[in-house]
Amino acid sequence: MPRHVACVMDGNGRWAAQRSLPRTAGHEAAETAVIDVIEAARSAGVTWLSLYAFSTENWRRPAGEVDILMRLVRRAIRKHAPALHARGVRCRFLGMSDPRIPSRLVQDITDLMTLTSDNRQMTLTVAFDHGGRRDIVQAARSLIRTATPAEQVTEATFAQHLPYPDTPDVDLVIRTSGEQRISNFMLWQVAYAEWVFPQVLWPDFRATHLWECLDAYRRRQRRFGDVRRPTTTTGEES
Amino acid sequence: MTPTAAEETLDVFGPDSMLRSLVNEARWGLAVARATVLEAAYPQIGAALIGNSTFVTYPWRRLRNTLTSTQRLLDPDQHVRNREATRLNRLHARIAGSDPQGRRYDAADAEARAWVVATLFESSVTMYRLGGESLDRTATDRLYAEFRTVLALLEGNSDHLPPTVREFWPYFDDIVHHRLENTEAVRVILFRLFANVPAPPLLRNSPAVWAASRAVAGPMAAAITIASLPEPLCRRLALPDVPGARALMHGAYLGAAWASRLLPNDWVSVESFMSLLDPDHSREAGPWQGVRRKAGQAAALFRLVTPAPDEDDPVTYSADRFFAEVLDQTGDGHIAWPDLAAMAREIATRLDLDEPDEERLFNAYAAWWRELQAGLDSDGDGRVTRQEYAAASTSLPSAGLIKVADVLFDVTDVDDDQAIDAQEYQKLFRRAFHRDLTGTADTYSRSAFVRQFLSFMSGQQHSTAYSSLLT
Repeated sequence: MPRHVACVMDGNGRWAAQRSLPRTAGHEAAETAVIDVIEAARSAGVTWLSLYAFSTENWRRPAGEVDILMRLVRRAIRKHAPALHARGVRCRFLGMSDPRIPSRLVQDITDLMTLTSDNRQMTLTVAFDHGGRRDIVQAARSLIRTATPAEQVTEATFAQHLPYPDTPDVDLVIRTSGEQRISNFMLWQVAYAEWVFPQVLWPDFRATHLWECLDAYRRRQRRFGDVRRPTTTTGEES
Repeated sequence: MTPTAAEETLDVFGPDSMLRSLVNEARWGLAVARATVLEAAYPQIGAALIGNSTFVTYPWRRLRNTLTSTQRLLDPDQHVRNREATRLNRLHARIAGSDPQGRRYDAADAEARAWVVATLFESSVTMYRLGGESLDRTATDRLYAEFRTVLALLEGNSDHLPPTVREFWPYFDDIVHHRLENTEAVRVILFRLFANVPAPPLLRNSPAVWAASRAVAGPMAAAITIASLPEPLCRRLALPDVPGARALMHGAYLGAAWASRLLPNDWVSVESFMSLLDPDHSREAGPWQGVRRKAGQAAALFRLVTPAPDEDDPVTYSADRFFAEVLDQTGDGHIAWPDLAAMAREIATRLDLDEPDEERLFNAYAAWWRELQAGLDSDGDGRVTRQEYAAASTSLPSAGLIKVADVLFDVTDVDDDQAIDAQEYQKLFRRAFHRDLTGTADTYSRSAFVRQFLSFMSGQQHSTAYSSLLT
């Protein structure tokens, strides 16, 4: 079973277009998928789940769409906070540095993080206003500020300066809608991740699709760059 | 100030100072509240409080500053003590004026300051008495001597307080009977402050909870304080005698005494209470940390499940709110020099500035004030009303305000590297770099700092960092 699963929630716009609905209807429909996946991942024993909700590049979208998206996120947080807390999900938000994020949303997000900070069942990281490169640059800055000598900078020490350094490497990335891109998502953490690209659009993504992806992951052999023997078989013993 | 003989020894209060342990007890708050009323009834002090003090508008900030200041005055290290005494003297030297009846007041007045120390001593003795543990003769003498030492530290001598406890009581009774008046400050403290205390920082985000608890606690605090005042004073000031108030007062003092005897020390220490009320104040993990954490989570849940307020985003303060919360520091409805002086005082206290830096800051504020007066005070009454400020805020920032921002940058930038780094920022705003820092760099350049200060001071942009400093 992968320890850390990440989802790039792609295809909301196309889902809406197929139904001749405004793009925002796709975002609205995505909420059900998100809740379903959180619950399915938790009961399948995944302890770290990351969702790519909003990238630093998404600010380029039309202002109206961004505005509605922010409202939807806020509504979803308020609606599901008690349930997430009751299920022992610790919620974190990665990124979150743009002043354009409405302050009431920031308040709700802070409240959600405070509320669930002691939970240990599963850690849900929502990448919101996130950019993988930005995180790496921030880490480099923080490293320089601590005046670490060059020869002491290793992958491990560097990773300590990333936001939420306790986050383990991502084992499996699911990108829905068949698109095959990284899109600046948790660049450092996905270094050795397995990728699956189901054709289904995100609003239609359900627990069964997640199980299929987990199954596909189990059948793969992870070699971490080695050619002689599989370092880790993710096979049937797990 | 010439050091007295007592001051030359290293720790004038001694290692087992009664006063030092007293100010670390949370229940001393009862005595301080009572002493404040006695001080406010002294006409000169009352006028100074009303004219200059920010305690009605920002009681929690004031409380924290007073606490820090007292602890510094009682510090075992002579340099810390003297530095704080000098700072307080400088601060008080700036507070002088005349009350509406035209009587002069001056915060550096020796007799008035002796009275402040006297009320604190008398209230402490009363606190012990009402708590059911009266001090014996030796303990009272020692406590009195320590209070006189405090006065000597501030004044250079303690000549205005009688030399012994025996002579103290006639002095105290005489002032109570002949000098104290029903000043405006007394009425404000008893009937406005207690009923309208703004939420402590912890509860600022849950106004409903605060309003509910204040509706009960405010009148109770007023009744307890009134009931503990000397009987002749209540008569002369015509303070209300509510049935049951005396029992309540005795209950509160006894309860506090029992709590400080039975509960673990660090539960009832002032530090723990302050950190409970104000998360920014906490220095390390205290006994209340766990409680506060749980309370924070409960509050978060409460906010999340209560209906959401509408989406309109308060990126900009409404002009009225900005005026009331930031500019009008004394809470009297208009801006005058005491308001700006209070801002300068708060910044100087927080950064613990030396005299030259403090002087520069006050001068910058004074220059800004002259400019405001010249430019905005259209009816020439020596103060700027809300309407006058609002009418002109489009033409701001003025040169004076820019100067203030400039000086603020200089005094905050301790290492003179022309940038405010995380540590300096922390010192000024008591919080880490966060969302307010939207630029790409992790330090503030002078221009970015000045720009943000200006946009905050002209009410154009809300900033949580500045709000925490000036509200």
